[in-house]
Amino acid sequence: MMDPNQYCQPHEHAMSRRKMLGVIGGTAGFGSLLQPAVAEAIAKKEKQVCLIWLDGGMSQYESWHPLPDSQFAGPFRSIKTSVPGIHFSELMPHTAKIAHKISVIRTMATQDPNHSTGVPRMQRGDPLNRGVDYPYLGSAIAKLLGPADPALPPYIWIKPGNGGFIHHEAGFLGAKYGALALGDGRAPIHIHRPASISADADAARQALREKANERFTAYRGAAEIDAYETSYDMAQQLMARKDIFDDSGLAPRDRERYGQHPLGRHILRARGLLEAGVRFVKVSSHHWDTHGDNFNMSQRLVPQIDQPFAALVDDLDERGMLDDVLVIVMSEFGRSPVINSRLGRDHWPDCWSLALAGCGIKRGAVIGNTTADGAFVDDEGYDIGDLFHTIFTVLGINPRRAKYRHKGQKLAIANDECRAIKELML
Amino acid sequence: MNTPALDLKQAWVSRELAHDRQLYRAQFSPDGRSIAAVGQDKLVHIWQLEGGENKTTLDAHRAWVSSMAFHPDDDLLFTADYHGIIHCWNYRDPDKGPRWTIPDADRGNVRALAVTPDGHHLISAGDDRVVKVWSTKEGKTVAHLKGHAECVFSLAISPDGKHLVSGDLLGIIRQWSIGDGWKPVRELDATLLHTRGEDFLADVGGVRSFAFSDDGKLLAAGGMKEAQSNAFCPGKPTVLIYDWASGEKTSELGINGKSDGPFNALRFLGDKFLAGHTEQLHTPSELAFWDIDQPEPLHSLKNHSAYDLSLHPDGRQLLAPCYVSGGSTGNGVRDRKREDYTPNGSALRIFSLFAKPENKAGG
Repeated sequence: MMDPNQYCQPHEHAMSRRKMLGVIGGTAGFGSLLQPAVAEAIAKKEKQVCLIWLDGGMSQYESWHPLPDSQFAGPFRSIKTSVPGIHFSELMPHTAKIAHKISVIRTMATQDPNHSTGVPRMQRGDPLNRGVDYPYLGSAIAKLLGPADPALPPYIWIKPGNGGFIHHEAGFLGAKYGALALGDGRAPIHIHRPASISADADAARQALREKANERFTAYRGAAEIDAYETSYDMAQQLMARKDIFDDSGLAPRDRERYGQHPLGRHILRARGLLEAGVRFVKVSSHHWDTHGDNFNMSQRLVPQIDQPFAALVDDLDERGMLDDVLVIVMSEFGRSPVINSRLGRDHWPDCWSLALAGCGIKRGAVIGNTTADGAFVDDEGYDIGDLFHTIFTVLGINPRRAKYRHKGQKLAIANDECRAIKELML
Repeated sequence: MNTPALDLKQAWVSRELAHDRQLYRAQFSPDGRSIAAVGQDKLVHIWQLEGGENKTTLDAHRAWVSSMAFHPDDDLLFTADYHGIIHCWNYRDPDKGPRWTIPDADRGNVRALAVTPDGHHLISAGDDRVVKVWSTKEGKTVAHLKGHAECVFSLAISPDGKHLVSGDLLGIIRQWSIGDGWKPVRELDATLLHTRGEDFLADVGGVRSFAFSDDGKLLAAGGMKEAQSNAFCPGKPTVLIYDWASGEKTSELGINGKSDGPFNALRFLGDKFLAGHTEQLHTPSELAFWDIDQPEPLHSLKNHSAYDLSLHPDGRQLLAPCYVSGGSTGNGVRDRKREDYTPNGSALRIFSLFAKPENKAGG
């Protein structure tokens, strides 16, 4: 049972946005959240997101903004891209070829130089302090847009290490908006019904469990049961959609194009999940915090995002999906211009780069002016709140009008002192 | 005038040359009258040690200069960069450009250079995993030595001039014959210096430095072991000592102090004593001296991180290009003013390996 005070989108997970729009005839019921024209567009095609999170912070000098003649440059060349006048590091040859399909912001100025506070700040969008624990982006989108396909979880997180149901990212929205995590991109365990249990017996067990939950919930808080129930529902959904984890049809050429390293395999998995209709897929990669040996490490790490990111954007484009799938590559900050004693770069939130593609994002644009050495923003920098406004806007969510409702309180979904980056949007 | 006795425990900084950018390689010239140093600013810096600080620069590289080697007899200096380019200079004549250039010596970074004792051959190695032999006269290809499966960090030539060793990222040392067909001879195991943790995104470590003892009986290989991640890349600085005749690893040397980076440089001081320098993130590192019969240093000097060591021909002075913070290192700009945010620099430190002469007041 839902908390009656907790505002929810006019949909439930049992019904897809596409179906619901069909039922209620366009924008009725969505007025508080969606711009009518956008809602109409959504009715035609679902919007999806792939967030690629490089935990620790990738060096902008060794990727999006090389500036080889500046005093803070690294040792690598810059190379021409498919967009005249735009150059990336030589460590990004694949992405350089698809630069005309993506946009780069080179003036992110995000204030927080620490991992422990920077990661949640960036993934929550730094809303103004309302005394609540805001959801991470994936959970926010799961709440605001619901599942794109009712038969699939709205938020799947492909991560290193172990998987499971990770509820803490949902914040005040409640555990049910958490992420289904696929450890190392693998299918969750236990999605195969044991041969010793028949389909009928399994259905009877589920019914018994639901009955027990109903009785339990009648006398206690619903939040934990909601999360518990959600994880069971997801397991049920995935048992019916085991096919999305079947890699037997993957072309060897695709495995090669994305790369056999974890990011390559995980982003290829993300492509499959997006094709299947998962609303929000996060792919995270650890160990980008190159305080030591930054140049040897960048030489080996940056190609691991270059190759599969370019392949994903190309594939989404070729499949006609790029206009409806937003792809974001980002970290909690960039890396310092100054090179330290261990030939590393430290944390740098003051002026760094990230990339976006698809779903109403301009193609072939580079946004932001930096000082000549790339260390600082020269005019206007963008904070994470601006990026969240932009993300919500291109997904058809009005970040100024849409509100969460928590315990009777209306809460902005994005920092209301920030704005969408118009220069970035079509 | 009496020459003071070598006394490593009394080593002291006898001279320091400042530079406003980070330098990663520095060497005494064969006659000991000059120092060449290279690094981030793409220039080759030559200091004349006599007659004041007379300094010149050689300008042709367009990338960080990553390795260098002097010709043993002529006034030639070979320098190489991250873009795979090698230049040959007459370093006594800074007004002229390179004598010759190899534009494609490597597909990436030329990480190490060495010159054979007879001065005939220049050896290079780096990202493309191939050890390459060139004539020092014209820079013509002599041989390509293939076998490494990963990038090569280090090169050294045995004192008798008969063999070459190359060390790679995976901790494999390959020995090659010099001149006699440039053939592979054997492989030595230094895999202790390589780490690939289960969750690492990249290999970490490698054989970062070599040194032969003067009598040619020992080979030292430097790096770090037990790296904990591919992000900070912290590990335990380690030297492996090999008996050159048998190829057996005979001992492992570490340090007493706190350093988290590899030994980028090693130098034997005769047959029995070894010097090595490490890196440390943000805080001082150390220059260590060992009696190689003992696993722990007989003496250490706290010093900024350094990336190379060169022994003066007199055998009594060590040169190290050392990191000097410009005050801007660390996370974010914080309270610093933009105009104060500047690159870090270097100090070329010369350590005299004997007791500091007493200061005779008024003398």
